Amino acid sequence: MARYGMAFDYKLCINCHACEVACKEENGILLGADKHRLWIEASEPVGDFYNLARDKGGFLQHQCQQCENAPCLKACPNNAIYRDENGIIQLYESKCDLSLNCIDACPYDARYVDEKKHITDKCIFCSDTRLSRGETTTACQITCPAKVRIFGDLDDKNSEISKVLRKREYFSLKPEKNTKPKLFYLA
Amino acid sequence: MKKIEISRRKFLQGSVALCVYATSSSATVIPKTTTKTSTKETTNIPYLCNMCRNKCAGFARVEDGIVTKLNPNQYFPKSRNMLCPKGNAGIDALYDRDRLKYPLIRIGKRGDGKYKRVTWDEAYEYIKDKLVKIFDEQKDNRSTLAYCNGEGFNKDEYIKFFGGKIGSANFLDEGSICLNTKLGATLLTIGDIGEPDVAGSDFIIMAGANRYESLITPDSIDMIKADKQKLVVIDPRCTVTAIKADEWLPINPGTDLALCLAMIYIALKDELYNKEYVKKYFDDFEKLKKHILNSNYTAAWAESKTTISATKIEKLTKDFFSAKKPLFYLGRRSVWAKNDFQFRRAMVLINALAGSINTKGGIIFGQPIKLPDEEINQPYYSNAQGRFDLEGIVYGSAKGGSWLNFREKLLNGTAPYPVKAMFIRKHNLMQNMPNIQKTKKMLEIMDLIVVLDTIPSDTAMMADVILPESTYLEREDMVVSFNRLEPSLALRNQTVKPLYESRSMQDILKGLGNKLTMPLFEISMKYDEELQESIKEMGKIDAFEDGGYNLSELYKHDISTRNKTLITKTFGKEAYKTLKEKGVWYPNMNNYHKEIFNNSYEYYPEDKKLYTINRKYRVKCYIDKLDKHGYDAMPTWKDSYDFTLPDKRFRLITGRYVMFTQSATTNNIMLRDIMKTNHIWINNAVAKKLDIAEGDIVEIKSNIGRVEILAYPTNKIAPNVVFFSHGFGSSSDELEQAFGNGANDNQLIEDKMENIYGCAVMNETDVQIKKART
Repeated sequence: MARYGMAFDYKLCINCHACEVACKEENGILLGADKHRLWIEASEPVGDFYNLARDKGGFLQHQCQQCENAPCLKACPNNAIYRDENGIIQLYESKCDLSLNCIDACPYDARYVDEKKHITDKCIFCSDTRLSRGETTTACQITCPAKVRIFGDLDDKNSEISKVLRKREYFSLKPEKNTKPKLFYLA
Repeated sequence: MKKIEISRRKFLQGSVALCVYATSSSATVIPKTTTKTSTKETTNIPYLCNMCRNKCAGFARVEDGIVTKLNPNQYFPKSRNMLCPKGNAGIDALYDRDRLKYPLIRIGKRGDGKYKRVTWDEAYEYIKDKLVKIFDEQKDNRSTLAYCNGEGFNKDEYIKFFGGKIGSANFLDEGSICLNTKLGATLLTIGDIGEPDVAGSDFIIMAGANRYESLITPDSIDMIKADKQKLVVIDPRCTVTAIKADEWLPINPGTDLALCLAMIYIALKDELYNKEYVKKYFDDFEKLKKHILNSNYTAAWAESKTTISATKIEKLTKDFFSAKKPLFYLGRRSVWAKNDFQFRRAMVLINALAGSINTKGGIIFGQPIKLPDEEINQPYYSNAQGRFDLEGIVYGSAKGGSWLNFREKLLNGTAPYPVKAMFIRKHNLMQNMPNIQKTKKMLEIMDLIVVLDTIPSDTAMMADVILPESTYLEREDMVVSFNRLEPSLALRNQTVKPLYESRSMQDILKGLGNKLTMPLFEISMKYDEELQESIKEMGKIDAFEDGGYNLSELYKHDISTRNKTLITKTFGKEAYKTLKEKGVWYPNMNNYHKEIFNNSYEYYPEDKKLYTINRKYRVKCYIDKLDKHGYDAMPTWKDSYDFTLPDKRFRLITGRYVMFTQSATTNNIMLRDIMKTNHIWINNAVAKKLDIAEGDIVEIKSNIGRVEILAYPTNKIAPNVVFFSHGFGSSSDELEQAFGNGANDNQLIEDKMENIYGCAVMNETDVQIKKART
């Protein structure tokens, strides 16, 4: 039993895509642009060449926000989506009939269609690979040159993520959607 | 609260920028990577990565004899518990279905890709017949065989075989198309090549390097993680490193030396330099001072050369010299302009003027862990001639030579003897050096070309015999010593057995040695008078044994045995055990290595890092030898260095994306999934005038060639400069992913050489651009 969350020291990101490759290799994600559990949003510099406005923190990591109030879970007509004992939004693969309601419902574009398994897929914190083997972190977290991600149990006061969230300011994506994400972006 | 709107669809349809994704073509290829790792307990074997030249450490998760995941190794001080995208995608290099699987002998014309599968013995037999004929014709001049190597590991061992045992003087490596000017400039100026202490610096100037895309560990990681460090990037292009910098100063290509000279001028004139240090360590300081001040390298002068404003140059210099631990980062690859040696030397002098040598945050000397050499008995061949590629070059690397000079001398007939055979290991000559047509002509001269590689590269397609080498995940290599500040040993273990009929380099050379030993000895008996003398004196068997003619001598024992013997003997049993289990060892590792936070580690306590060592050295302002050869003994600007362009031309610059540093990586299905191809960066305003839109196919022409490539209009490049990345545009149709994908920079780049180290100059080619089609 845990309540897993992730914090992002997002300004450290250099957009090297190591996290994306590690995720694909670990979790057997299909090749292809629209098939990924995580991605980086890169904001390009603006202005003309000699007066470029660069954004040092312009690389932002995206993946399933593991909402406490998850729109996808409510949207599924087949009750195929559930929250597991660690607070991770999961899917009963056999129940998914690709209604795609979850994809439409997710404000974060976190889901995509896995054309091999005929399900919608998204980040589940490596819960059926690494975590199930007793490992303590995700593929994207461990490989990162900058260690942008901090993964852990939000209910454990002594976890690194809890410590960081006590110490630093952070924000969530699309707070107006009232989804209560368990992903936190460190200011 | 910050609100960021993002839509996956929008993201995909948006600017291609650095995220051009592969479409259906790659999605149809092997779903090897589309299997997730299992839940079961299994072995994790430590290995060292080989996707680029850098070497990071990892653990391979092996399930039922198959590598299913590569994870970073937390014990290695150099790579600091990380693997980059290339490192992660190493699985797809191992299981690349295009891999070379069996020995092959050419049956068609050179370059047309027709080969037949043969046994290893047939391949060796073919090589033997050809080599015997060549050495016979050339009267045992062993240097008629040239050999080259582009891979970091096993290089010395490869040299021992072809140089030491077979006796050729003609070894070439990547140094002369990479970093030899930087190594040389540092060595000649402060007596050592040193190592930058990026983590310890509070102010870094980075020019001629792109550390967030061409990753070098630990430098790249240390830059990201260092807090309170100011980073100023000098680059003609707004790279990712520039985006992440505190300040980015765009500069005219090839004029970084002018910036450096102005910084030296300001430091001397305003007396910003570290006087105590200069007094203690500098030779010919007054000469330098007089030269720089008299040359009037003012900030205003540098502005006219570089386009960086005089005010900014003044401020940069003051900030640098008033920082506590300033570091002018020396870069690594590549040689950008003809003045590259002087540019790198000026950088070293700036560091020295700031006192940033042999101290925290500067260029440190440190102390690498010394590995003993495995000595071999090398024959002496009296008919073997010396190398010729350093003629006309002031210094040059006696080890790895000069590719462009070597090639030129073979082509223009000024080589003192013919070179008829070439052994090429993991060195993609047909893509890696300027002016590929000349490389092709050079290869066409050869009577025998043997390629050792893992994939059918463009160069392999020119070979007579192709020998499939195992990838780095399939072999154990000899233990290697890394780094000086936080030194360690690291061992590449075998994670899985070699696939197909591939063999490790040692096994290949052992087989070749066994096949060649007697036939080549007989050639020497025929032509080598000194050998004939010793046979008279001591008989054939003793002359053979004493002379060291057994080519396979080094391979009496397999690599595991050799590693075990060498490591145990020098560092003890525990060190060997640790290297096998953790992949890394250094003294006191168990006490020193500890987690700091969030899977980041400390490797050495602060007081054990070798920031400063006790060593006598001098900072050489003036180098006599350069003067004697008619070159500048001190960094000097020449009018010919000015950045000028003929009408309607653009300066072509090259570089790297983080997913593709080596040409082999462009055939990697996973990396191609992240970025599909390369594009030419062209200034967006200029593109508009030329009616070039994103995704248009444009034709690029230089004096030596033309390519077609997709256009990427962007504000991240100057109006008079264009850029595209290296490694693409492979012509080998055996490479499903890389073949015909994108453009090859070296089709366009003219072969210009700097004369201090004989290095190829990469960024001095002007091109014309026009839209070919939409």
